[in-house]
Amino acid sequence: MATRKMRLFSSISASFAVLFTLLNTGRCDEQVPLMLWTSEGTSLPSQSPPAAGHIVGRDQLDAYLHTALGSGPRNVLLFLQDKMSIEDFTIYGGAFGNKQDSAFRNLEGALLSSPSPLVLPAVSWPGSNAVIGALQDQLETSPLYMDAETLGQLRLNSSSPALLVFRLPYGTGSDLMSAKEILSGNDEVIGQVLSIMKTQSVPYLAIYTALQPSQEAAAALSLEVGAGGGRSLLQARASHKEREQERERKRKVKEKAGVYGPVEFKKMELYQSKERENTCILLWATGLSVSILRGGRWDDHDLTPSTFGEGVTPKLHGSMCDQTKARLVLNYEDVLGHRNFKLIFAMSQRHYSVSARRWFTMDQVELEYDGTKATFNGSRSIYAPAEYSYRCDAVSSFRWPSLFPRSAKDPANQWRVSFEDFQIQGFNVSGQDFSYASDCAGFFTPGIWMGLMSSLLMVLVLTYGLHMIMQLRTMDRFDDPKGPAISVPLTE
Amino acid sequence: MLVEWMMNGHAILYTGVTLAFWSTILVVGICYTIFDLGFRFDVAWFLTETSPFMWANLGIGLAISLSVVGAAWGIYITGSSIIGGGVKAPRIKTKNLVSIIFCEAVAIYGIIMAIVISNMAENFSGTTPETIGARNYQAGYSMFGAGLTVGFSNLFCGICVGIVGSGAALADAQNANLFVKILIVEIFGSAIGLFGVIVAILQTSKVKMGD
Repeated sequence: MATRKMRLFSSISASFAVLFTLLNTGRCDEQVPLMLWTSEGTSLPSQSPPAAGHIVGRDQLDAYLHTALGSGPRNVLLFLQDKMSIEDFTIYGGAFGNKQDSAFRNLEGALLSSPSPLVLPAVSWPGSNAVIGALQDQLETSPLYMDAETLGQLRLNSSSPALLVFRLPYGTGSDLMSAKEILSGNDEVIGQVLSIMKTQSVPYLAIYTALQPSQEAAAALSLEVGAGGGRSLLQARASHKEREQERERKRKVKEKAGVYGPVEFKKMELYQSKERENTCILLWATGLSVSILRGGRWDDHDLTPSTFGEGVTPKLHGSMCDQTKARLVLNYEDVLGHRNFKLIFAMSQRHYSVSARRWFTMDQVELEYDGTKATFNGSRSIYAPAEYSYRCDAVSSFRWPSLFPRSAKDPANQWRVSFEDFQIQGFNVSGQDFSYASDCAGFFTPGIWMGLMSSLLMVLVLTYGLHMIMQLRTMDRFDDPKGPAISVPLTE
Repeated sequence: MLVEWMMNGHAILYTGVTLAFWSTILVVGICYTIFDLGFRFDVAWFLTETSPFMWANLGIGLAISLSVVGAAWGIYITGSSIIGGGVKAPRIKTKNLVSIIFCEAVAIYGIIMAIVISNMAENFSGTTPETIGARNYQAGYSMFGAGLTVGFSNLFCGICVGIVGSGAALADAQNANLFVKILIVEIFGSAIGLFGVIVAILQTSKVKMGD
């Protein structure tokens, strides 16, 4: 009894210990690579590089630097990038047989030509930030922050120590430069600095590391692994960036979607011999945006803050609604350089005899500005029974479009409209709420239906075949369990 | 006795599956009706959103596979009879091979039609029902229909010829004069497979897939 209890207790504590260490290591699993090399002609005492997968700790890093600086040159070039991860080298270093696309040509050349290069792929962070402090202590000099131009003006001495720090950027999130271009730029700077040092023919020790691991690479990797990974990193890159932008956009849209009511168009109606204001058209969306093609670029304008929100009343002059037609006109000022800009939703309803019910369709979405009218046709996919409202997650004219320019020469070809989480009702509005929302997305997609049909057919075939095979019987008419066994003699 | 019949594993399985299928359909249909969502049951949407390629290829697949099932079944029936009868009357084996050939012809009709139909499948560049165009839809449905036509015709033709051929073999084993007359019955049975091929060719005569 006692031994069983002890065994249980020890197993529980062991599992807790394992969990604890896992959680602990989980906190500091961020690493930054560090590369160290000397100029040609100077060599350091050989240091064994760390084993693969080993994360170099603070003390070990200090030991490496101590050995390097103790007997090595006194001029240290520290290339400090904002962020770096070993994945950057895998993705952009031409590691998949495409050396010509490598963004690290100068770095590679320096490491290969140096007599004693040292590459530490994983130095634990944030301990690696102390590298400047460690170098300062060992060299007993303060760091000089420079770039390639100022280096040319500096006269270096091989006997007096100098710590030259070159800050290199790693901007993310800006669409202007991709990570690859930034890294190539940094590589260019490294190349320039090393060539200047070569002309000065002063022996130096160069270190290339970063202040932080690059989150983008780590996040990209985990996302790819999460999404059923094992895909080539190079392949994932471009689509990941686009998806990242999409996600950013959707996040911004969701942040904007506070709780607000729909845009209502009210009409004075005679009801029981009293004039009452009844809501006639309802519109709600979390995002309304239009873009125009100007000079090869798309200029966007987000109309959501001027249409929806607490205390926002959009101007609805020109809207009308009656039994068969409804027209919602949203008037804006100063959109993309046009003073009076109108977004018009034109709907109509009628009875269709085949389905024996009334349906409403969004006939046109028009943009009116400066006397020009850009018309999109929407009746193909924006429709719902007349008693219900229409709701769709994305109504746009360019991505899985449901709005099409009326003709090939229509000004709508220069425009893009995009509505997110869009709901509209133009008829049979009772009260101030939407009726049941007929969603644009059905339960099964066409692909699912096709798959189901083919699978069902094959299952039918399988069933039939199985049925036939299972009713085969061996002939047992002449079986005689009590008789002599059949013998087939080997000899004639 | 009913209980004894039900105790058969096959019967339980098939009744169970059929019951599950039809009750799902019934419950889903009732829910749609009660909630006035009948408008969601859109056959036109199904027919226009599914790709004409699916229909065309189902037609091609069914053409060859159903024909082969018919031929195989016929040969299995006739073949066993010929072999069985040939034990006691070896003279029947050469003459009765013509029954096997009639069954095989059915499979040949099937593969010829499958090749003819599959040659009509061309690439088109539309993705929405408007851009795909009526002609491509017509092509897809025609190919499906033709495949179905030739497949089922050959299936039943093959079975028919097989059973008649089996009877012919055994009759021939008893009395050699009977064979020639029974062959006429087999020829009539074989003609129906040919009808299927002719109708399938008519169905696909106007097919023109592509842009």
